[in-house]
Amino acid sequence: MCGPRRRPCEDAGVNERHTAVPGDAAHLPALLTFLQDFWSELNLPATEALPFELALEEVFMNVVMHGSHTDRAPLVKVSMTLVGGGVTLTVEDDGPPFDPLSLPAPDVTASLEARRVGGLGVFLVRKVMDSVRYERRDATNLLQMTKNITEVGPAPK
Amino acid sequence: MGNTMFEIRQDDAGQVTMAGRLDATQCDAALKFLNEIAVLRIIDLARLEYIASAGLRVILLAQKRCKAAGGSVRLINVTPAIHDIFHYAGFDQILDITRAAS
Repeated sequence: MCGPRRRPCEDAGVNERHTAVPGDAAHLPALLTFLQDFWSELNLPATEALPFELALEEVFMNVVMHGSHTDRAPLVKVSMTLVGGGVTLTVEDDGPPFDPLSLPAPDVTASLEARRVGGLGVFLVRKVMDSVRYERRDATNLLQMTKNITEVGPAPK
Repeated sequence: MGNTMFEIRQDDAGQVTMAGRLDATQCDAALKFLNEIAVLRIIDLARLEYIASAGLRVILLAQKRCKAAGGSVRLINVTPAIHDIFHYAGFDQILDITRAAS
């Protein structure tokens, strides 16, 4: 599907990139580079990247944390797809079942003294994305996040 | 965007500057740097391009430490994108945040 503001339609699959890394914090920079490459190859506006970078970091670091209780680091597969005017980021891992959306929301109105130093990650992901969906599929956790971006490619003449 | 490194430094007047990307891989170093500053007052974020929850944690811990010592941290020159993140996290309720001049 091609939106009206997009460049001419390209073959299916062209607007899609995949990568996979072990669920170890050392691989975070590689994932962010993957995201940035996707962004520049598809000529997306740089100002729209931050929510996706944030979502990728938060979700990946959650997988790392939850996978650290097991014998081996989970394998984390990441895909990015540009469809119409939106980008979908999918993070899939083969770690123990874990639905990050089941976490209680942190109290962002608490006083400084009462503020907890963790628990903000998933909360922020929900704020910056248009939709976030979790699914336990086969033996994997699948988290799919989508957000429209305001301007995709050059505006039509 | 781009793969900008993270940089934190303190000038002669004591003002701290953070620039680039404060992601989860940079947080330990940033926290250590801030913890070594006896009296932390102002952090200039004009050139901070990215922050996520791990970076927010660094700033929250710095503010908790300052408050315990009777002071407070001011964040200045905060860009709109970074300000959105602070706002979502409710940090504008517990920190003195000044936006960048537009």
